[in-house]
Amino acid sequence: MGQFPSRPLISIALAMTLGTGAGCSHWIELATPIESTPPANTTVATDARVPLLLETIRVTHNGSSIAPPALLERQVLGAIEATRLFSQHFQSGHSQPAADQARVTVRLSIDNVVEPHAGQAAWRGFVISASMFTLAPFISLSYDYAAEMSLETERWDGQIKRYHATSHGSAHYNLFGANPEVIEQLKGQVTEVCLSSLLNQVIQDAPFYLASKEHPQDTPIRTVSVGVRRSLPRAIPVSQPIEKTSPQ
Amino acid sequence: MSFINRVLTALTLGSLMTTPFLYAAESSPTITVGTQEVGLAVGYILPHRLTEDHITKQEGPVFMPSWMITITDPLGSGWYRGQVSVGAEMVYIQFQEPILTHGVGFTPKIKYSFVAWDRIRPYTEFAGGPFWSDLTGKIPEESGQFNFILSAGFGVSYFLTDQVALNIGYRFQHISNAGTSYPNIGLNASLPFGGFSFYF
Repeated sequence: MGQFPSRPLISIALAMTLGTGAGCSHWIELATPIESTPPANTTVATDARVPLLLETIRVTHNGSSIAPPALLERQVLGAIEATRLFSQHFQSGHSQPAADQARVTVRLSIDNVVEPHAGQAAWRGFVISASMFTLAPFISLSYDYAAEMSLETERWDGQIKRYHATSHGSAHYNLFGANPEVIEQLKGQVTEVCLSSLLNQVIQDAPFYLASKEHPQDTPIRTVSVGVRRSLPRAIPVSQPIEKTSPQ
Repeated sequence: MSFINRVLTALTLGSLMTTPFLYAAESSPTITVGTQEVGLAVGYILPHRLTEDHITKQEGPVFMPSWMITITDPLGSGWYRGQVSVGAEMVYIQFQEPILTHGVGFTPKIKYSFVAWDRIRPYTEFAGGPFWSDLTGKIPEESGQFNFILSAGFGVSYFLTDQVALNIGYRFQHISNAGTSYPNIGLNASLPFGGFSFYF
């Protein structure tokens, strides 16, 4: 007959398990932007679509201009491509649409604001260390990230539209849950939400980006469904955006 | 001293063998929030007898395996721009003088690394924690085997690659028992050290 472990032993084991688990935890809170209009989905004639040229992406990080990361460029172009609003997608510096071809030129500006709460993290880290890490499960650290995007689109006839969107979120983690991936997830999710909000506004204006063409009565019109394809972030929206989004 | 000579020779040769990696990787090492560091430092303590009551000339090699985690992005701007990391270190001292004895301790530590100079990153650090030794109790300065060890110092990390750095530095080390028994004059020492860190 085996002996059952004593109650204090079970309690200590449970406390250590919970403490270690809690000490390694992290979570992301995302402020989901309120769309100025509900999520847009529409159907457009395939032949009416025109190519898109992504001319510039300007990125600032806490007010300082930085070279746009290649990953961000791909993310932006991929999100635009996924809307299926445009027939082809070009990026400045790569292949270009024909000079005489109707096109939509877009210029994107992304302002990122990072608040790592460094002073607070340093102080809390000191306290956690001084406690021989016993306070690690109970003291959390934070990292805030905000993105503000401005999109300018210019039609082939020179007409211009501007869109604006913002989003922000926070990562909270315990000392042993600190991980570069947590911060990358936060940045990726904030960017994704902001980009979706921006493109949703573009979809609202879908007719503006279509070349009106006369269709022969005897041929059927082929259409395509356009809209913002979102990969839902695994985050809990907890608050409202810092600014209401609206096309200008 | 022959042992420490061998260790220092090995560190020097190791650094020379890995120096070519410096030119292979042109980008600056990216240490972000959550980046972890494990390392090993080896040094030699040299006694400081600060008062007439200090008579022990304790000497010997020190081994310090450590783990740290970066908890801030770079703070500030200019030459003092840097990052804070916290962690813990095991300290093992083999006292070869005045008698062959041993000491082992566990010290949480905090470090501020200056990041303004790309691959060369000076740092300051502070560590303190419990320390057991069979030297203390056999010398007039200390009366018990249970003590605390405090150390503060500075060093320089030289990143051979984005993930591997060589470190050299200096610490001032103090061992005493925080008044838990008497006498408690304390032992003080200089600790020059060298080692390496691996970041992931």
